[in-house]
Amino acid sequence: MSDESTTEDARFADEVLARLPTTPVPPALEARILADFDYVAAARAPGAVARLVRRWQALIWPGAPAWKPASALALSLIVGMMAGVLVPSSDLAKPASSASQADQQTASGDAPPIVNMTGDL
Amino acid sequence: MKFDPDTELVARVGKGDRAAAQALMARHLPHMLRLARRMLSSQAEAEDCVQDAFLKLWTHAGRWKPGQAKFETWLYRVTLNQCYDRLRKKPVLGLDAAAQVADLAPAADTVLERVGVAAEVEAALQTLPDRQRAAILLCHYDERGNAEAAEILGVSVEALESLLARGRRTLRMKLSHLRSA
Repeated sequence: MSDESTTEDARFADEVLARLPTTPVPPALEARILADFDYVAAARAPGAVARLVRRWQALIWPGAPAWKPASALALSLIVGMMAGVLVPSSDLAKPASSASQADQQTASGDAPPIVNMTGDL
Repeated sequence: MKFDPDTELVARVGKGDRAAAQALMARHLPHMLRLARRMLSSQAEAEDCVQDAFLKLWTHAGRWKPGQAKFETWLYRVTLNQCYDRLRKKPVLGLDAAAQVADLAPAADTVLERVGVAAEVEAALQTLPDRQRAAILLCHYDERGNAEAAEILGVSVEALESLLARGRRTLRMKLSHLRSA
């Protein structure tokens, strides 16, 4: 292909592409992009973990001060531990007795056989 | 090494400077959007594509090392890659639809009346393969030099010239009737 034809093609491309309309930037797009920036910057800033905890807390107990969910969690822990200590567990005896039976069987299996030497053959 | 006007702004963006982010956006967003718009031929998709490219910028700005590459080149490459990803996911035009686009020239008068010159140029652009279209847009629409366009596309200058030559020839064949119009 000749240089002249190549130059002509290039000039033609310039001409036709100049006829394309401009693309205005919508303000909403700028706002979206800046919101992304704010989000990334907030996640990267020091204290981001504390902010994340606060956001989570606001999600599960909106408007409450930090001590309220912390107290609720502590109280539920205490109730759980008290229940574990104070409620008598009658079920614990059963596995223990079955274990002792098994022990007895093993012990009798280990004992020498009882042979009656006085009886008739 | 050439002076990179964006280096300082990128460093400030990496430290969370909102004003720097706005300045960087004002400098590059219009060009990125018009490139994506012509690559994808959909305003909504172009906006999403550019937003994703900026999100990448906000995420990586803190790790940007000046001197490795020109920032603008990197940003436009990211934008083009976002475009390619979206084009890959797009359904391919059926043969009938492709034939309609390709046969614009013979019925030029009626097409001109119906859709206008800009739409016709846009349609012709869309018939080009993605990389030819990107090369044409970078050099003839965004008015970048061959070396810079080649760097953005990640090809040699010779390869870019080949892409340009094929793209221009196809455009001229499809839109030759516009010359007399």
